[in-house]
Amino acid sequence: MNKLKIPAVLVLAYLVLPLAVNGNDYVVSLIVAALTIGGIALAWSMLGNLGGMVSFGHAAFFGIGSYASALLTIKAGWPVLVSMLFAGLVAAASSIATMPALRLRGPYFALSILAYAEIFRIIATEWKGLTGGAAGILSIPRLPEIMGIDLGGKIGGYFVVVTLVIAMVGIYAVIRRSPQGLALKAMHDSEDATRVVGVNATMLKALMLVVSAFFAGLMGAFNAHYINFLEPDYAFSGSWTTLAIVAAIFGGYRTLWGPLIGALVVYLVDQLVFKAILPQGHQIILGALLGAMVLFSPTGLTPLIAKLTRLQRKETANAAH
Amino acid sequence: MSKFASVSALAVFAVLAASTAWSAEIKIGSQIPKTGNLARVGGAMSEGIAVAAEMFNKKNGKHTVSVLTMDDESSPAKAVAAVEKLASDGVVAFTGGYGSNIIGPASEAAEKMNKTYITSGGVATELTKRGLKNFFRINNSEGYARALIGMYTELGIKSVTVIYSTKEATEEVAKMLEKTLSAKGVKVTLHAFDPSTTDFKPIVHKIKLQDRPEAIAMIGYENDYVGILRAAKVLKPDIKNISGVWSLATSKMWSEFPDLMNGVAGTSTLSYPAEFTTPEAKEFAETYQRMYNKAPDYLGIFGYVQSMMLFQAAAKAQDAGTIDKGGISEELRKLDVQTVIGRVRFDQDGDNPEFTHRMGQHQDGKVVLVWPADAATGKMNFPAVPW
Repeated sequence: MNKLKIPAVLVLAYLVLPLAVNGNDYVVSLIVAALTIGGIALAWSMLGNLGGMVSFGHAAFFGIGSYASALLTIKAGWPVLVSMLFAGLVAAASSIATMPALRLRGPYFALSILAYAEIFRIIATEWKGLTGGAAGILSIPRLPEIMGIDLGGKIGGYFVVVTLVIAMVGIYAVIRRSPQGLALKAMHDSEDATRVVGVNATMLKALMLVVSAFFAGLMGAFNAHYINFLEPDYAFSGSWTTLAIVAAIFGGYRTLWGPLIGALVVYLVDQLVFKAILPQGHQIILGALLGAMVLFSPTGLTPLIAKLTRLQRKETANAAH
Repeated sequence: MSKFASVSALAVFAVLAASTAWSAEIKIGSQIPKTGNLARVGGAMSEGIAVAAEMFNKKNGKHTVSVLTMDDESSPAKAVAAVEKLASDGVVAFTGGYGSNIIGPASEAAEKMNKTYITSGGVATELTKRGLKNFFRINNSEGYARALIGMYTELGIKSVTVIYSTKEATEEVAKMLEKTLSAKGVKVTLHAFDPSTTDFKPIVHKIKLQDRPEAIAMIGYENDYVGILRAAKVLKPDIKNISGVWSLATSKMWSEFPDLMNGVAGTSTLSYPAEFTTPEAKEFAETYQRMYNKAPDYLGIFGYVQSMMLFQAAAKAQDAGTIDKGGISEELRKLDVQTVIGRVRFDQDGDNPEFTHRMGQHQDGKVVLVWPADAATGKMNFPAVPW
C-alpha cells in the first residue's frame, strides 16, 4: 500500500490536478499560494518535529530568500532558477547568525527567532541602496520558459512550487529515517536524555536550523518571482510564520505530509468555501474550525484521518469474520 | 392563431430585448481591501465606485455596467487571486486597489490578461514607470507635493521642517518638497521616522530647539499625524503653521481629535460641510447621501472619478467593438475631462499630469478650502497652531 502512495501523489500532483484546474487561473493561483505556505509549514515542522524547536521567526528566512533571489536576478543578471537555489543558500547562511539562540529553549528560543526576523526586516528597510528600502522592488523577473513550458504562467508556477514541496517532503523523509533524524526525534521528547547517550544535540539542532532556513528561503525566492513584487513589510511579514504554524498544527506537524495537507485544506477551504459564504470576516469560521481541531484532535488532521481509516478497516475486517 | 402569433412575437421581442440588454451590460471588476489594515480606506473607495455605477446606469440607456467586487484582504497575493477570479467571471476591466504594494502585483496580473486597471489608491512614482499599457491612475505624489508647496509659497514661508514616514509614497512627497522648496530658497530640514514610531517627542524636541522652522510638514498617515500633533502640543514649538497630506483635513479627524486639529492644514478635495458647486458634483453628493446616508469623503470622490472615466471609456470601446482588444485603454488615453477633482487626462505612462490637490484647514469643526484661490471656500488662518 505504501509503495503505491508515492506514484499516486505524483500522478495527482502532475497529472490529475493540473488537468482538473487548468484554465481556472483563480483556483490555480490559490493552490500555488497554499503550496507556498505549505512549503514554509514543512520547513517550520522540520525544526519543530526534529529537534523540538518552536520558531516564531521563519518569515526572516522567507524574506531573506525573497530578497536574495530578486536582487541576484535584477542587479547581477543571474538566471531566475539559479538565483532561487542560491537564495536558499543565502537564507541557510543567514541562519548561522541566529545560532546563538540555540542555547535557548521553548518560548525563549521562539521569541529570540522572532527578534531576528524583525532585525532582518529593519535591515531590508534601511539598506535602501541595495533593497530599495520601504519602497520595495516592483517588476521582479518572472520564472522563465523551459522546453516550451512557461513557468511564469499560472500552471507553470504550479509545476515549480509543487516540484519544490515534493522535493522538500522527500528530503524530509530521508532525514527522518536517518540515524540523525532518529536522534532529533528523540530530542523532541527529551533533549537531556539524548545528550546522556552521547548525541551532539547542539550540532544536530544547528544543522536542522540550516536545512529549515534553506527551505523557507527557497519558498521566499519562488514567491518573489511568482508575485513579481517585494517590500520589507510584505517579505518579512509575521503572517508567513503564523499561517505556516496554523497549517502545520492543523495538518499534524509531526507527520510527513501533515503540514502540506494542512496548508492546502486551511487556505483553500477558507478562500473557496468560507469566503463565498461570508465575504468579509470569513476568517472567523476558520478560527472556530482550528479551535475545534486543536481540542478534538491535537495531533492534527493527518493522524485523525489515519486513525479513522484504521478504525474503518478494523470494522470491515470484523464484519468479514 | 393570431393570438398565438402575437404572443410568440412578443416573446421573441422580449428575448431579443433581454439579449440586447445583456450584451450591452459591461462587467467591471473591483479588487479592493474590505478587510485587513486597509479596510477603512478600501470601503470608502468602494462606496464611490458603487455611486459611479448607479449614476452611469441611470444616465446611459444604451450601456449599463455591473461592478463585481472582491475583497483582497489587504494582501498582495490575494489581490492577484482576486483579479484572476474577477477575470474568470468575465470582467473587462478593473477599478479599485489601495496601497502601492498591492496595486503593483494586482495591476501586473491585469496587464498579463491585457485588461485595463484604473486606481487612485497608490501614488508611488514607480507604479507608472513599469511600462504597463493598461495601467492608469488619476492622482500621484506630485499632486500632493504641489498643493503643499503652493500653499507655503502663498504664505511666504521661509523655513520648513519635514517629518516623514519611510514608506515609499511618503518619502517621495518629502523628497519632492525638499527639492522644490530648496530651489525656491526655502530652508528645508528633513526628519525621517520608521512607520512603527509612536513617540514623536524626540523629533519635535529637536525641531523646537535646533531647526526652529516657520512651518512643520507631516508626511505620514493618520496615526502619525496624531502622534506628531500630541508631541507638538506638549512641547509647543514656536511655529506659524503645521500641515500634512492625505487623511488629515477630514471631518473624521476633527470628530476624533478636536483638541489636536484646529488650524492644521492638509490636502483635501472638498470642504466640510461639503460645498458642491457643479451639477455633476451635486448629483454625486445627492446619490452618495441617498445610498449611504452620509456625506462623501475624498476617497469616495476618487473612487467615483476613476470609475466614471472607466465606464465611459468601456462604453466607447464597446461601441467601437474593441472592448476585448485593448480598446478600453485606448479610449481612456483619449479622454481629457473636467471632473469633481479637476482636470484629468492620461500621459503615455497612464499617469495624470494635471493632478493637483487642494489644501483644506481645520477651522472650528469645519474644513475650509484655503488653496488654490480659485477653489478656496474661505480665508486661511495664519499663523495658527492647535496649541
